[in-house]
Amino acid sequence: MLEIDGLCAGYGGVPVLRDVALRVDAGEFVAIVGPNGAGKSTLFKTISGIVNALSGTIRFEGADLLAVAPASRPHRGIAHVPEGRQVFPSLSVFENLEMGAYTETGRRDWNQNLERIHTWFPVLAERSKALAGALSGGQQQMLAIARGLASSPKLLMLDEPSMGLAPATADEIFERIVAIHDQARIAVLLVEQRVAEALHYADRGYVLEAGQVVLQGSPDALKSNDRIRQAYLGM
Amino acid sequence: MNAAQFTENFLQALSAGLLTGAVYGLMCVGLSLIFGVMRVINFAQGDFMMLGMYVAYYAFGLFGAHMVFGAAFAPYLAALLAGPVIFILGLLVHKLLVSRVTGMRGSALESEGHYAQLILTLGLALIIQNGGLYVFGSAPVSITTPLSSNAWEIGPLHGDLISVFVNQGQTVAAVIAVAAVIGFVLLMGRSRLGKSLRAAADNPEAAVYMGIDVERAHRLAFGFGVGITAIGGGLLASSYPFQPYVGLEYVIVMYAGVVLGGMGSVGGAFLGGLTIGLVQQLSTLVLPNQLQNTAIFVVFLVIVLLRPQGLFGRVARRT
Amino acid sequence: MSGAIGRSTGPVIAIIVFGVVYAAVTGFVGNSYYQLIMTVVPVWAVMGLAWNLLSGYSGLVSFGHAAFFGLGAYFVALAQIHWGVTPWIGIPLAGVVGGAAGLLVGVPTFRLRGHYFALAMLAYPLALLYVFEWLGYQELTLPMQRESPATWMQFDDQRIQALLALGLMLGAMFLTSRLERARFGLSLIAIKQDEAAAEAAGIDTLAWKLKAIVLSGALAGMIGGFYAVVLLVVTPPAVFGMLVSAQALIVAMFGGVGTVWGPVIGAVVLVPLSEFLHAQLGNVIPGIQGVVYGLAIVAVILLAPEGVYWKVKDVLLRRAKKPADADLAPVALSAFAPVVERVARIGTTAVFEVRNVSKAFGGLKAVQDVSLTVMSGEILGIIGPNGAGKTTLFNLLNGFIAPDQGQIMLGGRNIVGDKPYRICAAGVGRTFQVVRPFRRMTVEQNVIVGAYVHTASNDEAREVARSAIADVGLSAQAQRLAGELSNKQLRLLELARALAGQPKVLLLDETLAGLGGDDVEAVIGVVRRLAEKGITIVIIEHTMPAMVRLVDRFVVLDHGAVLAQGSPADITRDPAVIDAYLGKRWRIEGA
Repeated sequence: MLEIDGLCAGYGGVPVLRDVALRVDAGEFVAIVGPNGAGKSTLFKTISGIVNALSGTIRFEGADLLAVAPASRPHRGIAHVPEGRQVFPSLSVFENLEMGAYTETGRRDWNQNLERIHTWFPVLAERSKALAGALSGGQQQMLAIARGLASSPKLLMLDEPSMGLAPATADEIFERIVAIHDQARIAVLLVEQRVAEALHYADRGYVLEAGQVVLQGSPDALKSNDRIRQAYLGM
Repeated sequence: MNAAQFTENFLQALSAGLLTGAVYGLMCVGLSLIFGVMRVINFAQGDFMMLGMYVAYYAFGLFGAHMVFGAAFAPYLAALLAGPVIFILGLLVHKLLVSRVTGMRGSALESEGHYAQLILTLGLALIIQNGGLYVFGSAPVSITTPLSSNAWEIGPLHGDLISVFVNQGQTVAAVIAVAAVIGFVLLMGRSRLGKSLRAAADNPEAAVYMGIDVERAHRLAFGFGVGITAIGGGLLASSYPFQPYVGLEYVIVMYAGVVLGGMGSVGGAFLGGLTIGLVQQLSTLVLPNQLQNTAIFVVFLVIVLLRPQGLFGRVARRT
Repeated sequence: MSGAIGRSTGPVIAIIVFGVVYAAVTGFVGNSYYQLIMTVVPVWAVMGLAWNLLSGYSGLVSFGHAAFFGLGAYFVALAQIHWGVTPWIGIPLAGVVGGAAGLLVGVPTFRLRGHYFALAMLAYPLALLYVFEWLGYQELTLPMQRESPATWMQFDDQRIQALLALGLMLGAMFLTSRLERARFGLSLIAIKQDEAAAEAAGIDTLAWKLKAIVLSGALAGMIGGFYAVVLLVVTPPAVFGMLVSAQALIVAMFGGVGTVWGPVIGAVVLVPLSEFLHAQLGNVIPGIQGVVYGLAIVAVILLAPEGVYWKVKDVLLRRAKKPADADLAPVALSAFAPVVERVARIGTTAVFEVRNVSKAFGGLKAVQDVSLTVMSGEILGIIGPNGAGKTTLFNLLNGFIAPDQGQIMLGGRNIVGDKPYRICAAGVGRTFQVVRPFRRMTVEQNVIVGAYVHTASNDEAREVARSAIADVGLSAQAQRLAGELSNKQLRLLELARALAGQPKVLLLDETLAGLGGDDVEAVIGVVRRLAEKGITIVIIEHTMPAMVRLVDRFVVLDHGAVLAQGSPADITRDPAVIDAYLGKRWRIEGA
């Protein structure tokens, strides 16, 4: 569904990503792990069009995504849940979800999506009228994910959903993501610094270091790789 | 000056302040929208307002010639017409010029393009006001409506000592301004378009992730912003004579109001404009007339220095 | 792309040549109208240079330079009319008036940044305009003095006035040229590019900005005074009006800001052009002058946003593009220091003592009741999940933010409330999570800025900078622009800049972020060598394996509070740390 090949991207002509190749199939759960500053967020931003690709290709369902304007990409079925949540603080929880449903499919499936979102994240129904800026960190993260789901995406990109959350909250968020992946049958591309958890749930994993894919494979293969064990799992 | 006379003067200034302030408030809402959504300080806002005044002036001439709408209300219809006309002009100016130094393209420039934005809009201001001199001439003009020379008398109160005169023209203008602000607040609060503009203002990057075309949002905000201010200008045009340089006088009035209200907050901007109107009129009680505007500048400076988030604003932190 | 620091005589000669040519041209102009233009061009050039001294170098856009100009003009006019003071004395005094006004304006207004600064500056001249009208000075006419024209600067031959104007302009150019190559220029340019980084590198940003606005106001006041003598009539709109401020900014912007030549180029091109058009078409097209200025700056912003001077220079430079230089010279990697040496390195005195420090942003408690001690000579690692308050802690330590509660003792003194540049001077250097170099300065200039805090002369600063650059192994890149460097080089540049301040403690915020394996080793080698030189290191880092080998001790932060501290071996086995930071799978997989 998503195929990235030979991708170089960066800010002001200085490449952060170098020759990245990556694939996500429909319905798959793929994790990208790697140290801070390795370019994981830059990769997401390049897929969303916020960062310009210098060379290489990104194809989504066979179409050249780089030729699609950034604001049109969500309409193709890509939902990007950015690092640091980035909810709209002065909009209510409900309005944030409405903005998530800005796409045509989002509006079409609005009632059904809202119902599902409220089952996955009941707290968002309770706090529907509250300003998003007034929510706790964990609630904001739930809202950010729910906002992404409101567009009825085919691919959900999650950038460090556990960032800055208490371990218990992060675990809760993880469980929801797994549930969402199972029930909504959408592809999930997850960037995470909690390597062990990410690899535990994923179908496949990529290791990104200094802007390059240094390893990829099944979670078991990655977990048994000496380098990964040493660098990320502390063994 | 005895107490009764002072009270009368005070009430007179208060009512005049509220009426002008309402129109200032509308003008401020336009400026505030542009800042709120685009984070751009539009220096040419006063000049778009001036263009609005002239649109109203010529439209009124046209209506007048055909005796439509009646002499009393034609000026207000003309003022409202300035809105859409300047809205379209704003869209064009944004597309051709402003968009080059704002939004994504602005962030590629030095200091996120703030520098370029200030200078570009200053250049626009110079072109519009000096070009206006050629197109409209330098002689002050005004729109006359029978209402602007009539007043309602409130009172006499407190025996026969106090009576306050409320200008009918200004009252109608203030009512229209308030209605326009309410309409705009509803648009921003209820419609999908309004919500998407607010989302783009809150976090442009996340707005893109929602599929909102942020550049289009900016264009609409710029168009609405100058259009709304132009309506305010059109409403003022029936009480004050104006010429092509009039924008300069109001650009500070508007900025004072917007800063007072907390940059970027629509409701705050209206209250800010209202306050500036009051300050301007009430200052005449203690200061000579020529220093009306100096009073505004002093209030503006004090606010900017002591409370940059504005009197009615919250401390906005953008993530 | 900023003015290069150097001691060549080239700039001086160029200014002299330009002055001679201008004087010669003036000598041949017979028509009194053109003579007036020859006088007015330098006036606006000086106004542009005055604006440039503040806004061009510091990046704080002023829309209010008419305030200084107008005060100068009114001062000279009133002094002559009321007290019989000749402009020869009046104009220098107008400079004093302008400088004093600059100080008065600067002290409150420099609390503002960006948009707010620009807007506040706009208000000053407009407020003054109405005040002077109210005072009854709608139109001041300087009396004609036929008997002793030289005493009153009212020469029969207008060319003499033009030469006087030229003299002022050359003076302003020499001043700018001198300042831009001195500490003044580099400090302001650093402020323009990254005020916080400059402050952290030991630059007293407020003091420099005040110096700039005082000089700038003085120059504008003098030239305003001169303008009054040239025109003989002073009205509030003519000297306090928006167009005066705009013209100062426009000539500088058009020609190029942050340079001696920009404002001069702007004035030489735009002033005659608009005067000419005004004279030819003023009757037919009123306002043509303003339209031309407006179009000029709109065009410049869209086509050459940095101004004509830089555009031309860029084009010329691109043609003579130098070949890429060799990458980083290999850093001698001292292998992992044995444990014995570590113990010897660590002293017994506390460098930093953080006592019960808390800081909240709105409802978010970023740092909660943190207490920790940094011993001299140690390498202390700070780890924790993203958002745990690590960078906030650094910001508290170097004075970017003040704690809500608690004390921060540096060498036994509480530094809470001190400004960052003072804390830098007291021996705290830092780097940033997202690198903050002064991108448009060379590596050497970047580091020189960092060296100012403990050096008296420019030469000394250069020496210190060179040795700091050599310490991190960047000597081969010393003359390159920071913006052209690779990630690793930028990290090293920040290290060198911090090092040039001769710190006792270095705060390193994710210095290894985004580096590949070999680069990590290289940077770690540099950090280790600095530690061996006796500099205490506090480092925030996520790259655990590297950290485990580098640090003597860990402090683990979670949700703004200290979760644990201890040796690397203890920390990596601490269940609480594993849960909060390393992840519960660490334990599962490890078991």
